[in-house]
Amino acid sequence: MSIPLALASGTGRFYKHSAKIIRFARHGCTNRPFFHIVVMERRKAQHQPVIEQLGTYDPFPNEHEEHLVAFNFERIRYWLGNGAHLSTPVAELLGIAGLLPIHPRTYMTAWRNRRAAEEAAAKASESGADANKAPESKEGGSGTS
Amino acid sequence: MSFGSNLRMFANKASLCCNVNKVTLELFSRCSTVAFLQYDKDPGPSFSNPDVQKLLKSMTRVQLEKVYKKRSVSDNTVEYKFMTSEQLEKQFRKAAERAEKLIQMPPIVKVKEDSQKVISRDPALTNFSNTKFVIADITYGVNSSDRKILVRQTDGTLEYAPLSIRKRINQIYFPHPGRKIRLPRMFEPEHLNRCLANFQYEFILDRACVQFDPYEKEYHEITTKVYNHINESKRFDDLRSTRHFGPMAFYFAWHQIIDDLLYDMIKQDYLKNGAELVALYYQLNGIDYDKSIHEKLETLVQPQSTIQSVLKPKASDDMHEEIKNAIGKSAEDFTADDISFEFIETFVKTKALKKVQLELALQALRETNDEKKKLYHGLKKAHGIS
Repeated sequence: MSIPLALASGTGRFYKHSAKIIRFARHGCTNRPFFHIVVMERRKAQHQPVIEQLGTYDPFPNEHEEHLVAFNFERIRYWLGNGAHLSTPVAELLGIAGLLPIHPRTYMTAWRNRRAAEEAAAKASESGADANKAPESKEGGSGTS
Repeated sequence: MSFGSNLRMFANKASLCCNVNKVTLELFSRCSTVAFLQYDKDPGPSFSNPDVQKLLKSMTRVQLEKVYKKRSVSDNTVEYKFMTSEQLEKQFRKAAERAEKLIQMPPIVKVKEDSQKVISRDPALTNFSNTKFVIADITYGVNSSDRKILVRQTDGTLEYAPLSIRKRINQIYFPHPGRKIRLPRMFEPEHLNRCLANFQYEFILDRACVQFDPYEKEYHEITTKVYNHINESKRFDDLRSTRHFGPMAFYFAWHQIIDDLLYDMIKQDYLKNGAELVALYYQLNGIDYDKSIHEKLETLVQPQSTIQSVLKPKASDDMHEEIKNAIGKSAEDFTADDISFEFIETFVKTKALKKVQLELALQALRETNDEKKKLYHGLKKAHGIS
Protein backbone atom coordinates (compact mmCIF):
# COMPACT_ATOMS: atom_id res chain seq x y z
CA MET A 1 0.00 0.00 0.00
CA SER A 2 1.50 3.26 -0.98
CA ILE A 3 -0.20 6.52 -0.18
CA PRO A 4 0.82 9.48 -2.27
CA LEU A 5 1.82 12.29 0.09
CA ALA A 6 -0.09 15.44 -0.72
CA LEU A 7 0.58 18.95 0.55
CA ALA A 8 -0.43 19.67 4.12
CA SER A 9 -2.96 22.11 2.70
CA GLY A 10 -4.77 19.04 1.35
CA THR A 11 -6.19 17.88 -1.94
CA GLY A 12 -9.48 16.33 -0.80
CA ARG A 13 -12.76 17.60 -2.22
CA PHE A 14 -15.62 18.02 0.20
CA TYR A 15 -19.15 19.29 0.49
CA LYS A 16 -19.73 22.43 2.49
CA HIS A 17 -22.25 20.91 4.88
CA SER A 18 -20.97 17.33 5.09
CA ALA A 19 -19.78 15.97 8.45
CA LYS A 20 -16.02 16.48 8.93
CA ILE A 21 -13.82 14.68 11.40
CA ILE A 22 -10.34 15.28 12.78
CA ARG A 23 -8.67 11.88 13.00
CA PHE A 24 -5.52 9.87 12.48
CA ALA A 25 -4.39 8.63 9.07
CA ARG A 26 -1.89 5.81 9.42
CA HIS A 27 1.33 6.37 7.52
CA GLY A 28 4.74 4.83 8.21
CA CYS A 29 5.24 1.22 7.22
CA THR A 30 4.74 -2.33 8.42
CA ASN A 31 5.27 -2.61 12.16
CA ARG A 32 6.19 1.06 12.35
CA PRO A 33 3.11 3.24 12.51
CA PHE A 34 3.23 6.99 12.14
CA PHE A 35 0.07 9.02 12.17
CA HIS A 36 -0.93 12.16 10.38
CA ILE A 37 -3.64 14.13 12.12
CA VAL A 38 -5.99 15.13 9.35
CA VAL A 39 -9.38 16.63 8.78
CA MET A 40 -11.58 14.84 6.23
CA GLU A 41 -15.17 13.98 5.46
CA ARG A 42 -16.42 11.57 8.06
CA ARG A 43 -17.80 9.08 5.58
CA LYS A 44 -14.48 8.68 3.76
CA ALA A 45 -11.83 6.00 4.41
CA GLN A 46 -8.60 7.05 6.06
CA HIS A 47 -6.46 6.88 2.93
CA GLN A 48 -8.71 9.00 0.77
CA PRO A 49 -7.40 12.46 -0.07
CA VAL A 50 -7.67 14.64 3.03
CA ILE A 51 -9.07 18.14 3.31
CA GLU A 52 -6.09 19.29 5.32
CA GLN A 53 -3.30 17.88 7.45
CA LEU A 54 -3.36 19.36 10.95
CA GLY A 55 -0.43 17.63 12.62
CA THR A 56 1.50 14.46 13.27
CA TYR A 57 1.79 11.91 16.06
CA ASP A 58 4.60 9.45 16.55
CA PRO A 59 3.33 6.60 18.75
CA PHE A 60 6.86 5.26 19.36
CA PRO A 61 8.95 7.13 21.91
CA ASN A 62 12.21 8.56 20.57
CA GLU A 63 15.71 8.12 22.01
CA HIS A 64 15.03 10.77 24.64
CA GLU A 65 11.93 8.89 25.84
CA GLU A 66 9.41 11.34 24.45
CA HIS A 67 6.30 11.01 22.32
CA LEU A 68 6.42 13.69 19.65
CA VAL A 69 3.12 15.35 18.83
CA ALA A 70 2.63 18.31 16.52
CA PHE A 71 -0.56 20.25 16.09
CA ASN A 72 -1.46 23.16 13.90
CA PHE A 73 -3.60 24.69 16.63
CA GLU A 74 -4.76 27.59 14.52
CA ARG A 75 -6.37 25.29 11.93
CA ILE A 76 -7.64 22.87 14.57
CA ARG A 77 -9.50 25.71 16.23
CA TYR A 78 -10.87 26.73 12.84
CA TRP A 79 -12.20 23.25 12.06
CA LEU A 80 -13.60 22.74 15.56
CA GLY A 81 -15.37 26.06 15.16
CA ASN A 82 -16.80 24.80 11.89
CA GLY A 83 -18.30 21.86 13.75
CA ALA A 84 -15.79 19.14 12.90
CA HIS A 85 -16.02 15.97 15.00
CA LEU A 86 -13.10 14.43 16.85
CA SER A 87 -12.00 10.81 16.94
CA THR A 88 -11.27 9.54 20.45
CA PRO A 89 -7.46 9.22 20.09
CA VAL A 90 -7.24 12.76 18.73
CA ALA A 91 -9.50 14.05 21.48
CA GLU A 92 -7.23 12.34 24.00
CA LEU A 93 -4.17 13.93 22.47
CA LEU A 94 -5.79 17.36 22.44
CA GLY A 95 -6.65 16.87 26.12
CA ILE A 96 -3.02 15.96 26.86
CA ALA A 97 -1.90 19.00 24.89
CA GLY A 98 -4.12 21.22 27.02
CA LEU A 99 -6.38 22.57 24.27
CA LEU A 100 -9.43 20.57 25.47
CA PRO A 101 -10.30 19.19 28.91
CA ILE A 102 -8.60 15.87 29.65
CA HIS A 103 -10.50 13.06 27.95
CA PRO A 104 -12.15 10.58 30.39
CA ARG A 105 -10.37 7.72 28.71
CA THR A 106 -6.99 9.24 29.64
CA TYR A 107 -8.05 9.22 33.29
CA MET A 108 -9.15 5.61 32.88
CA THR A 109 -5.80 4.62 31.40
CA ALA A 110 -4.06 6.46 34.21
CA TRP A 111 -5.81 4.71 37.09
CA ARG A 112 -5.65 1.35 35.34
CA ASN A 113 -1.90 1.78 34.93
CA ARG A 114 -1.55 2.83 38.57
CA ARG A 115 -3.60 -0.16 39.75
CA ALA A 116 -1.55 -2.54 37.59
CA ALA A 117 1.67 -1.05 38.98
CA GLU A 118 0.41 -1.40 42.55
CA GLU A 119 -0.61 -4.99 41.99
CA ALA A 120 2.70 -5.81 40.37
CA ALA A 121 4.54 -4.20 43.29
CA ALA A 122 2.46 -6.11 45.83
CA LYS A 123 3.07 -9.35 43.96
CA ALA A 124 6.80 -8.67 43.79
CA SER A 125 7.05 -7.90 47.50
CA GLU A 126 4.97 -11.02 48.31
CA SER A 127 7.11 -13.31 46.20
CA GLY A 128 10.22 -11.63 47.54
CA ALA A 129 9.02 -12.24 51.08
CA ASP A 130 8.28 -15.84 50.24
CA ALA A 131 11.67 -16.39 48.70
CA ASN A 132 13.70 -14.73 51.44
CA LYS A 133 11.45 -15.70 54.35
CA ALA A 134 12.43 -12.31 55.66
CA PRO A 135 10.01 -9.43 54.99
CA GLU A 136 12.36 -6.86 53.55
CA SER A 137 10.07 -4.85 51.30
CA LYS A 138 12.43 -2.51 49.57
CA GLU A 139 10.30 -1.80 46.49
CA GLY A 140 7.01 -1.71 48.29
CA GLY A 141 6.64 2.06 47.90
CA SER A 142 6.64 2.29 44.11
CA GLY A 143 3.41 2.83 42.25
CA THR A 144 1.42 4.04 45.23
CA SER A 145 -0.50 7.24 45.16
CA MET B 1 41.83 44.08 43.30
CA SER B 2 38.55 45.28 41.87
CA PHE B 3 39.08 43.26 38.73
CA GLY B 4 38.83 40.05 40.70
CA SER B 5 35.16 40.56 41.39
CA ASN B 6 34.09 40.18 37.80
CA LEU B 7 36.12 37.07 37.16
CA ARG B 8 34.80 33.64 37.86
CA MET B 9 36.93 30.61 37.41
CA PHE B 10 36.39 26.92 37.39
CA ALA B 11 36.52 25.58 40.89
CA ASN B 12 39.46 23.31 40.20
CA LYS B 13 41.46 26.22 38.83
CA ALA B 14 40.79 28.23 41.94
CA SER B 15 41.77 25.36 44.22
CA LEU B 16 44.94 24.82 42.19
CA CYS B 17 46.34 28.24 42.89
CA CYS B 18 44.78 29.08 46.22
CA ASN B 19 48.15 29.38 47.89
CA VAL B 20 49.43 31.98 45.44
CA ASN B 21 48.87 35.53 46.53
CA LYS B 22 45.84 37.29 45.20
CA VAL B 23 47.44 39.61 42.66
CA THR B 24 49.30 36.87 40.84
CA LEU B 25 46.16 34.81 40.87
CA GLU B 26 44.29 37.60 39.14
CA LEU B 27 46.96 38.05 36.53
CA PHE B 28 47.18 34.33 36.01
CA SER B 29 43.46 33.87 35.54
CA ARG B 30 43.27 36.82 33.20
CA CYS B 31 45.90 35.44 30.86
CA SER B 32 45.19 31.76 31.17
CA THR B 33 43.27 29.89 28.49
CA VAL B 34 41.82 27.43 30.93
CA ALA B 35 39.78 29.97 32.83
CA PHE B 36 36.33 30.36 31.28
CA LEU B 37 35.42 33.99 31.61
CA GLN B 38 31.76 34.74 31.96
CA TYR B 39 29.83 37.95 31.61
CA ASP B 40 28.78 39.06 35.06
CA LYS B 41 26.02 41.28 33.66
CA ASP B 42 24.12 41.36 30.37
CA PRO B 43 26.60 42.48 27.67
CA GLY B 44 23.80 42.83 25.07
CA PRO B 45 22.99 46.53 25.56
CA SER B 46 26.69 47.50 25.58
CA PHE B 47 27.35 45.43 22.47
CA SER B 48 24.48 46.92 20.48
CA ASN B 49 25.31 50.45 21.61
CA PRO B 50 25.92 52.42 18.36
CA ASP B 51 29.19 53.91 19.65
CA VAL B 52 30.56 50.49 20.49
CA GLN B 53 29.38 49.08 17.17
CA LYS B 54 31.16 51.87 15.35
CA LEU B 55 34.41 51.14 17.19
CA LEU B 56 34.14 47.41 16.55
CA LYS B 57 33.38 47.89 12.85
CA SER B 58 36.31 50.24 12.44
CA MET B 59 38.63 47.77 14.14
CA THR B 60 37.53 44.96 11.83
CA ARG B 61 39.29 46.61 8.84
CA VAL B 62 37.17 45.22 6.03
CA GLN B 63 39.06 44.02 2.97
CA LEU B 64 36.97 42.77 0.07
CA GLU B 65 39.57 40.18 -0.94
CA LYS B 66 39.24 38.54 2.44
CA VAL B 67 35.46 38.82 2.65
CA TYR B 68 35.07 37.22 -0.76
CA LYS B 69 37.87 34.70 -0.44
CA LYS B 70 37.39 31.13 -1.66
CA ARG B 71 35.47 29.08 0.82
CA SER B 72 34.92 25.40 1.23
CA VAL B 73 31.38 25.45 -0.14
CA SER B 74 29.88 23.38 -2.90
CA ASP B 75 29.63 26.24 -5.37
CA ASN B 76 32.80 28.27 -5.76
CA THR B 77 32.39 29.07 -9.44
CA VAL B 78 33.62 32.34 -10.88
CA GLU B 79 31.81 34.10 -13.68
CA TYR B 80 33.82 36.25 -16.12
CA LYS B 81 32.19 39.12 -17.95
CA PHE B 82 33.13 42.03 -20.18
CA MET B 83 32.06 45.34 -18.67
CA THR B 84 32.46 49.03 -19.20
CA SER B 85 34.18 50.92 -16.41
CA GLU B 86 30.81 52.35 -15.21
CA GLN B 87 29.36 48.86 -15.00
CA LEU B 88 32.48 47.71 -13.18
CA GLU B 89 32.17 50.50 -10.66
CA LYS B 90 28.52 49.61 -10.12
CA GLN B 91 29.46 45.99 -9.53
CA PHE B 92 32.12 47.02 -7.03
CA ARG B 93 29.58 49.13 -5.19
CA LYS B 94 27.19 46.21 -5.04
CA ALA B 95 29.94 43.92 -3.81
CA ALA B 96 30.86 46.39 -1.09
CA GLU B 97 27.25 46.61 0.04
CA ARG B 98 27.02 42.84 0.14
CA ALA B 99 30.26 42.69 2.11
CA GLU B 100 28.71 44.96 4.75
CA LYS B 101 25.98 42.38 5.18
CA LEU B 102 28.39 39.45 5.15
CA ILE B 103 30.48 40.82 7.99
CA GLN B 104 27.58 41.62 10.30
CA MET B 105 28.81 40.68 13.74
CA PRO B 106 27.12 37.88 15.66
CA PRO B 107 25.79 39.55 18.81
CA ILE B 108 27.06 38.92 22.32
CA VAL B 109 24.16 38.53 24.71
CA LYS B 110 23.89 36.98 28.12
CA VAL B 111 23.26 33.29 28.62
CA LYS B 112 19.57 32.46 28.78
CA GLU B 113 18.62 30.44 31.83
CA ASP B 114 15.93 27.79 31.87
CA SER B 115 12.81 28.75 33.79
CA GLN B 116 10.22 26.17 34.63
CA LYS B 117 6.75 27.47 33.84
CA VAL B 118 4.02 25.07 34.83
CA ILE B 119 0.62 25.43 33.15
CA SER B 120 -1.31 22.84 35.11
CA ARG B 121 -0.80 20.00 37.55
CA ASP B 122 -3.16 17.03 37.50
CA PRO B 123 -2.27 14.24 39.97
CA ALA B 124 -5.16 12.15 38.66
CA LEU B 125 -3.16 11.75 35.43
CA THR B 126 -0.19 10.10 37.16
CA ASN B 127 1.10 7.15 35.09
CA PHE B 128 -1.19 7.85 32.14
CA SER B 129 1.79 6.93 29.96
CA ASN B 130 5.26 5.51 30.39
CA THR B 131 6.89 8.38 28.57
CA LYS B 132 6.29 12.10 28.47
CA PHE B 133 4.58 13.83 25.57
CA VAL B 134 6.18 16.75 23.77
CA ILE B 135 3.62 18.85 21.96
CA ALA B 136 4.65 21.40 19.35
CA ASP B 137 2.41 24.05 17.87
CA ILE B 138 3.24 23.99 14.15
CA THR B 139 0.98 26.87 13.16
CA TYR B 140 2.36 28.55 10.04
CA GLY B 141 4.11 31.89 10.20
CA VAL B 142 5.24 31.69 13.83
CA ASN B 143 8.80 32.54 14.73
CA SER B 144 10.93 29.73 16.14
CA SER B 145 11.50 31.72 19.33
CA ASP B 146 7.77 32.40 19.76
CA ARG B 147 6.58 28.87 18.98
CA LYS B 148 4.70 27.15 21.80
CA ILE B 149 6.30 23.86 22.76
CA LEU B 150 4.85 22.05 25.75
CA VAL B 151 5.68 18.95 27.74
CA ARG B 152 3.14 16.72 29.49
CA GLN B 153 5.09 14.84 32.11
CA THR B 154 4.08 11.32 33.16
CA ASP B 155 2.83 12.71 36.48
CA GLY B 156 0.31 14.84 34.62
CA THR B 157 2.12 18.17 34.83
CA LEU B 158 1.76 20.33 31.73
CA GLU B 159 4.63 22.82 31.38
CA TYR B 160 6.62 24.81 28.86
CA ALA B 161 9.50 22.81 27.39
CA PRO B 162 13.05 23.57 28.56
CA LEU B 163 15.44 25.19 26.09
CA SER B 164 17.23 21.97 25.15
CA ILE B 165 13.96 20.30 24.09
CA ARG B 166 12.74 23.47 22.37
CA LYS B 167 15.87 23.61 20.26
CA ARG B 168 15.62 19.96 19.22
CA ILE B 169 11.91 20.12 18.40
CA ASN B 170 12.30 23.34 16.44
CA GLN B 171 15.09 21.71 14.45
CA ILE B 172 12.93 18.64 13.76
CA TYR B 173 9.86 20.45 12.50
CA PHE B 174 11.46 23.62 11.11
CA PRO B 175 15.07 22.78 10.28
CA HIS B 176 17.61 25.58 10.26
CA PRO B 177 19.88 25.02 7.22
CA GLY B 178 23.29 23.73 8.29
CA ARG B 179 22.30 23.06 11.88
CA LYS B 180 22.40 19.49 13.17
CA ILE B 181 19.99 17.90 15.63
CA ARG B 182 22.87 16.23 17.47
CA LEU B 183 25.90 18.26 18.48
CA PRO B 184 28.55 18.00 15.72
CA ARG B 185 31.52 16.03 16.97
CA MET B 186 33.94 18.84 16.24
CA PHE B 187 32.53 20.69 19.25
CA GLU B 188 33.44 17.88 21.63
CA PRO B 189 36.52 18.95 23.62
CA GLU B 190 39.04 16.55 22.09
CA HIS B 191 38.11 17.40 18.50
CA LEU B 192 37.75 21.08 19.29
CA ASN B 193 41.24 21.11 20.74
CA ARG B 194 42.55 19.55 17.54
CA CYS B 195 40.81 22.23 15.47
CA LEU B 196 42.34 24.89 17.71
CA ALA B 197 45.78 23.34 17.41
CA ASN B 198 45.40 23.68 13.62
CA PHE B 199 44.37 27.35 14.04
CA GLN B 200 41.00 26.82 12.27
CA TYR B 201 39.49 29.72 14.17
CA GLU B 202 37.16 31.09 11.53
CA PHE B 203 35.86 27.64 10.70
CA ILE B 204 35.00 26.92 14.34
CA LEU B 205 33.37 30.28 14.90
CA ASP B 206 31.37 30.15 11.66
CA ARG B 207 30.06 26.72 12.50
CA ALA B 208 29.29 27.72 16.08
CA CYS B 209 27.20 30.61 14.70
CA VAL B 210 25.13 28.14 12.68
CA GLN B 211 24.84 25.44 15.32
CA PHE B 212 24.05 27.59 18.34
CA ASP B 213 22.01 30.62 19.17
CA PRO B 214 23.97 33.47 20.75
CA TYR B 215 22.19 33.08 24.09
CA GLU B 216 23.26 29.46 24.55
CA LYS B 217 25.84 28.51 27.14
CA GLU B 218 27.70 26.24 24.71
CA TYR B 219 28.09 29.14 22.29
CA HIS B 220 29.69 31.26 24.97
CA GLU B 221 31.96 28.43 26.08
CA ILE B 222 33.19 27.63 22.59
CA THR B 223 33.68 31.22 21.46
CA THR B 224 35.52 32.21 24.62
CA LYS B 225 37.73 29.16 24.25
CA VAL B 226 38.59 30.21 20.69
CA TYR B 227 39.21 33.84 21.69
CA ASN B 228 41.48 32.79 24.52
CA HIS B 229 43.39 30.51 22.19
CA ILE B 230 43.84 33.35 19.72
CA ASN B 231 45.01 35.61 22.52
CA GLU B 232 47.62 33.04 23.39
CA SER B 233 48.77 32.21 19.86
CA LYS B 234 48.59 35.93 18.89
CA ARG B 235 47.15 35.15 15.46
CA PHE B 236 44.77 38.09 15.43
CA ASP B 237 45.23 38.50 11.69
CA ASP B 238 43.25 35.28 11.12
CA LEU B 239 40.09 37.00 12.30
CA ARG B 240 40.79 40.49 10.96
CA SER B 241 38.27 41.44 8.27
CA THR B 242 35.87 38.69 9.35
CA ARG B 243 32.65 39.11 11.30
CA HIS B 244 34.24 37.57 14.39
CA PHE B 245 36.86 40.24 15.01
CA GLY B 246 34.41 42.67 16.64
CA PRO B 247 33.03 40.18 19.17
CA MET B 248 36.58 39.07 19.96
CA ALA B 249 37.73 42.63 20.64
CA PHE B 250 34.58 43.17 22.72
CA TYR B 251 35.35 40.06 24.75
CA PHE B 252 38.92 41.18 25.42
CA ALA B 253 37.90 44.70 26.34
CA TRP B 254 35.13 43.51 28.63
CA HIS B 255 37.44 41.14 30.51
CA GLN B 256 40.35 43.63 30.51
CA ILE B 257 42.80 41.44 28.60
CA ILE B 258 43.44 43.72 25.62
CA ASP B 259 47.22 43.91 26.02
CA ASP B 260 48.16 41.32 23.41
CA LEU B 261 45.70 42.65 20.86
CA LEU B 262 46.91 46.19 21.49
CA TYR B 263 50.51 45.07 21.07
CA ASP B 264 49.60 43.44 17.76
CA MET B 265 47.87 46.62 16.58
CA ILE B 266 50.86 48.77 17.49
CA LYS B 267 53.21 46.37 15.80
CA GLN B 268 51.17 46.38 12.59
CA ASP B 269 50.98 50.19 12.69
CA TYR B 270 47.17 50.24 13.16
CA LEU B 271 47.46 53.03 15.71
CA LYS B 272 43.98 54.37 15.15
CA ASN B 273 42.55 50.94 15.88
CA GLY B 274 44.71 50.74 18.97
CA ALA B 275 43.25 54.00 20.24
CA GLU B 276 39.76 52.70 19.45
CA LEU B 277 40.46 49.52 21.39
CA VAL B 278 41.57 51.54 24.39
CA ALA B 279 38.46 53.72 24.08
CA LEU B 280 36.34 50.57 23.96
CA TYR B 281 38.09 49.32 27.09
CA TYR B 282 37.32 52.57 28.88
CA GLN B 283 33.73 52.59 27.70
CA LEU B 284 32.94 48.99 28.72
CA ASN B 285 34.56 49.31 32.12
CA GLY B 286 32.96 52.64 32.93
CA ILE B 287 36.19 54.65 32.97
CA ASP B 288 36.01 58.32 31.99
CA TYR B 289 38.10 59.49 29.07
CA ASP B 290 38.30 62.39 26.66
CA LYS B 291 35.69 61.51 24.03
CA SER B 292 36.80 64.27 21.66
CA ILE B 293 39.55 61.93 20.46
CA HIS B 294 37.06 60.16 18.17
CA GLU B 295 36.15 63.40 16.40
CA LYS B 296 39.78 64.39 16.11
CA LEU B 297 40.76 61.06 14.61
CA GLU B 298 37.78 61.03 12.29
CA THR B 299 38.48 64.46 10.85
CA LEU B 300 42.11 63.53 10.26
CA VAL B 301 41.74 59.98 8.99
CA GLN B 302 38.86 59.42 6.59
CA PRO B 303 37.25 56.11 7.39
CA GLN B 304 38.64 53.94 4.66
CA SER B 305 35.46 52.73 3.01
CA THR B 306 35.57 49.42 1.25
CA ILE B 307 34.68 50.93 -2.10
CA GLN B 308 37.46 53.47 -2.04
CA SER B 309 40.05 50.83 -1.38
CA VAL B 310 38.99 49.02 -4.55
CA LEU B 311 38.46 52.02 -6.78
CA LYS B 312 41.77 53.66 -6.02
CA PRO B 313 42.94 55.75 -8.97
CA LYS B 314 46.08 54.20 -10.43
CA ALA B 315 48.08 57.32 -11.22
CA SER B 316 47.57 60.93 -10.24
CA ASP B 317 49.29 64.16 -11.09
CA ASP B 318 49.06 65.52 -7.57
CA MET B 319 52.50 65.60 -5.94
CA HIS B 320 51.00 65.22 -2.45
CA GLU B 321 49.41 61.96 -3.50
CA GLU B 322 52.62 60.73 -5.01
CA ILE B 323 54.62 61.40 -1.87
CA LYS B 324 51.90 59.81 0.21
CA ASN B 325 51.97 56.70 -1.95
CA ALA B 326 55.74 56.52 -1.68
CA ILE B 327 55.81 56.73 2.11
CA GLY B 328 52.39 55.31 2.91
CA LYS B 329 51.35 58.19 5.12
CA SER B 330 50.16 61.74 4.69
CA ALA B 331 50.60 64.77 6.93
CA GLU B 332 47.17 64.13 8.48
CA ASP B 333 48.16 60.56 9.24
CA PHE B 334 51.18 61.77 11.16
CA THR B 335 49.15 64.11 13.35
CA ALA B 336 46.52 61.40 13.90
CA ASP B 337 49.30 59.04 14.91
CA ASP B 338 50.56 61.56 17.44
CA ILE B 339 47.12 61.85 19.01
CA SER B 340 46.75 58.05 19.14
CA PHE B 341 50.25 57.73 20.60
CA GLU B 342 49.37 60.00 23.48
CA PHE B 343 46.05 58.28 24.13
CA ILE B 344 47.57 54.80 24.13
CA GLU B 345 50.52 55.89 26.25
CA THR B 346 48.31 57.11 29.08
CA PHE B 347 46.54 53.77 28.98
CA VAL B 348 49.83 51.85 29.04
CA LYS B 349 51.07 53.89 31.99
CA THR B 350 47.93 53.49 34.11
CA LYS B 351 46.00 50.36 33.21
CA ALA B 352 48.10 48.00 31.10
CA LEU B 353 49.16 44.58 32.39
CA LYS B 354 52.16 44.14 30.06
CA LYS B 355 53.59 47.63 30.47
CA VAL B 356 57.18 47.01 29.44
CA GLN B 357 56.32 45.15 26.28
CA LEU B 358 53.80 47.76 25.15
CA GLU B 359 56.12 50.66 25.96
CA LEU B 360 58.90 49.11 23.92
CA ALA B 361 56.56 48.54 20.97
CA LEU B 362 55.36 52.12 21.17
CA GLN B 363 58.92 53.37 21.32
CA ALA B 364 59.94 51.34 18.26
CA LEU B 365 56.96 52.53 16.27
CA ARG B 366 57.61 56.12 17.27
CA GLU B 367 61.15 55.90 15.97
CA THR B 368 60.16 54.49 12.58
CA ASN B 369 57.39 57.04 12.39
CA ASP B 370 59.87 59.87 13.08
CA GLU B 371 62.09 58.59 10.31
CA LYS B 372 59.17 58.48 7.92
CA LYS B 373 58.22 61.98 8.93
CA LYS B 374 61.69 63.23 8.21
CA LEU B 375 61.63 61.53 4.84
CA TYR B 376 58.23 63.04 4.14
CA HIS B 377 59.37 66.56 4.86
CA GLY B 378 62.57 66.00 2.90
CA LEU B 379 60.63 64.80 -0.15
CA LYS B 380 58.27 67.74 0.13
CA LYS B 381 61.16 70.15 0.23
CA ALA B 382 62.83 68.48 -2.74
CA HIS B 383 59.64 68.84 -4.78
CA GLY B 384 59.26 72.41 -3.71
CA ILE B 385 55.95 72.06 -1.91
CA SER B 386 55.40 73.44 1.54
